[in-house]
Amino acid sequence: MFCRNQTARATVARGSALEMEIRRGKFRKSVFLETSQDSDIQKKIDHEIRMRDGACKLLAACSQRDQALEAAKSLQTCSTRIMAYMSELQRMKEAQVMQKVTRRSSDAGPMDDRLPCKGKVAISDLRIPLMWKDTEYFKNKGELHRCAVFCLLQLGGEIFDTDMVIVDRTLTDICFDNAIVFTDASPGFELRVELYSCCSEDDYSAGSTPRKLASKLSSSLGRSSGKKLRASMEPGACSPVSNGGASPLLLPVPSVPGPKYHLLAHTTLSLSHVQDSFRTHDLTISGNEECSYWLPLYGSVCCRLAAQPLCMTQQMMSGCLKVKQCGADPQSWTKVHAALKGSSLFCYHRQEDVEANVEPAFTIAINKETRIRASEKDPQSKVQNICVSNQYGGEEVTHTLTTDSREDTHRWMEAFWQHFYDMSQWKQCCDDLMKIELPSPRKPAPATPKQGSLYHEMVIESSDDLSSTVSDILARRLQELELRSQLGTSPTWMSLFEEDNPKSAGRPSPCTSRLSGRSPRTPHRFPRSPVSPHRCPQLGLLSSDVSLTSDSDSQCSTSPCSHHHNWPEPSNFSLSSSSPSRLRPRTLSLDAKLSTLRGRGYGGGGGTFQCPCQPPPSSLLVPIPISSCSPRSQRSTQTTLSCSSSTSSNSSSNSEGSHSPESSEGLPFSRPSPARRSLRNLRARLDPRNWLQSQV
Amino acid sequence: MSFVPGQPMCVVAQQIEIKKLRQGDHLILGFSIGGGIDQDPGQNPFSEDKTDKGIYVTRITPGGPAEAANLMMGDKILQVNGWDMTMVPHDKARKRLTNKKEDVVRLLVTRKTLEEAVKHSMGYPNQCH
Repeated sequence: MFCRNQTARATVARGSALEMEIRRGKFRKSVFLETSQDSDIQKKIDHEIRMRDGACKLLAACSQRDQALEAAKSLQTCSTRIMAYMSELQRMKEAQVMQKVTRRSSDAGPMDDRLPCKGKVAISDLRIPLMWKDTEYFKNKGELHRCAVFCLLQLGGEIFDTDMVIVDRTLTDICFDNAIVFTDASPGFELRVELYSCCSEDDYSAGSTPRKLASKLSSSLGRSSGKKLRASMEPGACSPVSNGGASPLLLPVPSVPGPKYHLLAHTTLSLSHVQDSFRTHDLTISGNEECSYWLPLYGSVCCRLAAQPLCMTQQMMSGCLKVKQCGADPQSWTKVHAALKGSSLFCYHRQEDVEANVEPAFTIAINKETRIRASEKDPQSKVQNICVSNQYGGEEVTHTLTTDSREDTHRWMEAFWQHFYDMSQWKQCCDDLMKIELPSPRKPAPATPKQGSLYHEMVIESSDDLSSTVSDILARRLQELELRSQLGTSPTWMSLFEEDNPKSAGRPSPCTSRLSGRSPRTPHRFPRSPVSPHRCPQLGLLSSDVSLTSDSDSQCSTSPCSHHHNWPEPSNFSLSSSSPSRLRPRTLSLDAKLSTLRGRGYGGGGGTFQCPCQPPPSSLLVPIPISSCSPRSQRSTQTTLSCSSSTSSNSSSNSEGSHSPESSEGLPFSRPSPARRSLRNLRARLDPRNWLQSQV
Repeated sequence: MSFVPGQPMCVVAQQIEIKKLRQGDHLILGFSIGGGIDQDPGQNPFSEDKTDKGIYVTRITPGGPAEAANLMMGDKILQVNGWDMTMVPHDKARKRLTNKKEDVVRLLVTRKTLEEAVKHSMGYPNQCH
């Protein structure tokens, strides 16, 4: 029953689901007249179908993983758009039928129900915090579980997708920098945000491994990776919407080998969520841990949702008026050209002033508190006046407006009523104009060598006064820490630093509450605070200046850890004072620190590296400035660093090892002052750019 | 010696067997390593390709077992006792070498001079092992 009329440019593929739908009569074009709206939608559907076919072909053809992911993303977007257009088309058809029915029965009278004005809705700075488990950091086997994620945003008939972001456990939040603007939204809008994710590991591309091998692999791999592999082999197992959400009746997504995105979480935002600042909203998560595309979401999404109704940005009504202030001389009518926009009526002397951007002669406020009524007919002019009353301060000020004809008065009244209606519908958006930035043309993302890891953004400013730098950083971090309240005063080791930190001294900040309360709303830009790049200390610097060994440190009692109140005396620090230094393989790598954390007290983790210090029960003194809100990840990374600070003196470094090992027993080497040494250690510790060497 | 992870690579490699030396409670090999996938590859002074995150020998203890076995500074370690070392974190690499249960480590290493030597002697481009 598909009839091709002049507006449809493409035929539907034979045997395709769309054709079946048409045959079934859902889109009987011959019965209804095709309006221009319909043809618009039809064009859009055709366009999306072509895009989708293109994406399928691209997906089948590409070999690189990220190309495949991008192609799969466009496939998902196209499918969703097609679904949306189809349902809208259906709705329009139904509305047409209803209209035809009602038109016969109703008389041609003015429509009584008012429609509120439309507006622009913009969503930007989407940020979804993650909550990685401790085991991800400590027990990881070196493989990085990565997922590719993107967001699909749908409002009315418009669907946009964000850029794709690769997420692994080094990321604490998923951030989407796109700002998406929906034009033509009504106040009752529903903005649906959907997060799709797809596992992004090369080994697990379903369909590429022969079945037998895959089953062997899955049984011989570790439990978790085997589970993942098995899950990815049967994509339908863990998600009910594995085919991208398309209902089986309508347009099944063509099964193309390659990555498939699954719905991970979704939420719906509406007018009540609109605000001119960042807010946190809850996410509904689908899927569970067994799925390959699973990511440990914290459960909320932060974003800025702003709306600009047309009544605030555009002139709703303009024309000539005569204005008289109440209480003034009855004859003192001022002739003005008035424009109704936003929450005021601007009155200009001449019409040209409006375009010339000259300041209006005066402004009458038209807001929720304004009262407007038509007064009795003026006996002289036989035209009704409009009285506009406002409360300025305690007193009421009334302006009287009049026009030249009854129709004009009627039109102005109508405009005012419409304006009031709009304001009542758009509620908080009409208080003040919210800023919406038009998305700028794509700027290439700043090329960072590693994406997203908090460590790499944590640059330490190099300054001449090293101690001040480090102490600044530490002081700043201390402020964010809850342990401060427990400790009462600043820890004793802070006194090692030359300059006093007024910040650290008097800040009994209620850190946890502050963190938890404010973190969801912290703008995500925080971790990207510009700090000048750190000039990496040369290896030589490390080896020559940091001529400290565990020996010396063990004897020194001013190393940072010893001053931590909860930690034991460094009596057993000198694990190696007895044995020659070259037998102490020391590493500064993160894994080392983490394994040490496990190894200590559990009978020696890997190798001979032991740190006698025990971690304090709660969080500790060397936090990282974490802006994300997930407390879990915070804790784990804090613990990490604590270990690092404690072992800093032990790990005297690698560079020590690079010296001749003969210089072990009781050598007279220069001992830099404890403060500087611990600072240097700390600095070496905190700077992930040191290229570590271990002696074996 | 650079390679794309996941793609096969072709190098000339040498097997080096090092017997660990016991010193008190510790077994030492007598060299230092640097590199790893969690390290910054740009700072590796020995690698040709500055994106190479492999494990390199950065120092040989004179008179140690590694020196005796002809391990050289700047060698890239490909395997240790069959375990891969081209795509490991730094600490894992260290652990693989310092396993207390093993007295001997068999390393598969490569260095630029090997390739050149083979080229010269055979007149062919790289031979794969």
